[in-house]
Amino acid sequence: MLRAPSRRKRKEPVKRLNLIPILDAVFIFIFFLLMSANFIKIYEVQSDVPIVSTTPPKSKKKPLALTLKVTGSGLNLYTGVPSRMVKKIRKTQEGEYNLEALHDFMVNIKKANAKERSLILEPIVDVDYEALVKIMDTIRMYRNTDDKVWYKDKAGVDIQAKHLFDQIVFGNIRS
Amino acid sequence: MRLNRSIRNRGRRNKKEPIDLDITSLLDILVIMLVFLLKSYNSTGIIMNIPEGITIPTSKSEDLSTSGVVVQVSKDTIWVDDQVILEKDNPRGKTYDYGGRRIIPLFNELVSKKNTIKQVEKTTPNATKFSGIVNLIVDKEIKYSEIKKILFTAAEAGYRSYKFVVLGENQ
Repeated sequence: MLRAPSRRKRKEPVKRLNLIPILDAVFIFIFFLLMSANFIKIYEVQSDVPIVSTTPPKSKKKPLALTLKVTGSGLNLYTGVPSRMVKKIRKTQEGEYNLEALHDFMVNIKKANAKERSLILEPIVDVDYEALVKIMDTIRMYRNTDDKVWYKDKAGVDIQAKHLFDQIVFGNIRS
Repeated sequence: MRLNRSIRNRGRRNKKEPIDLDITSLLDILVIMLVFLLKSYNSTGIIMNIPEGITIPTSKSEDLSTSGVVVQVSKDTIWVDDQVILEKDNPRGKTYDYGGRRIIPLFNELVSKKNTIKQVEKTTPNATKFSGIVNLIVDKEIKYSEIKKILFTAAEAGYRSYKFVVLGENQ
């Protein structure tokens, strides 16, 4: 009786992939990325120097001139030229600035003035820098829960406003 | 048989197969590291030094830093590009003018920096132009009256834009 030759004998060994060149490349990548890694996330909050212009504005539309005054008792909001107080937000019972109320009011103003991005910030009281940054955050940025504001650009395309009032100018640095 | 026992083949006879190291698990670790490092990769290339004594505030901002002259302010010291300009406990000469609004050493240093950048700009064709940006690394407990002096001094020195350097909130 003749038997068929065993298949085991014909089975070729499994070829293994040569991973060494990939390993070399990954090592080089890691060194490069370790050198340029940024473990502390540092960002910036922008503000411009106030400039007094003597030339009249091009458009006839009245400027919003939104001004936020930080006082000892709370936050006062003014609009228009000459400025007129539109909202007074008192401090909370804990003695902190009511940033929630400020944010809600800012969103409402933005709805009425979708293209407007400037705000004049005038801390009257000697507030500390951390509180100032929190106030700036409140007036600069949208939250996920806020209603979206849209406006039309020159071509008539709908554009979603990405920021509330992100062009903050310190109005009283020269006083 | 005779061939195997010969002196010529002695070395070859005892030679073992090279050990085949399994590097798959090592590669797995390296790929995970790669992904983690890619996430923390900083494309701006700007390195800012926060001196001892300064704790910068946290913010929700996600705007990446831009290059410019760096002014660092702690409770008792002011630096410009890591160089001490003013020590409030040990002032050298007159410190303030314009009715206490302008910090003289800071003004002089900022003007000097601006002039240097403009000089390089004129002489070197591909040099970075003067941006007028001042990056402010300020301690979170500094009062606005002090910040106001720095802002005023920078504006007087010809800087048009302030960038308040803050820490990302999800740290």
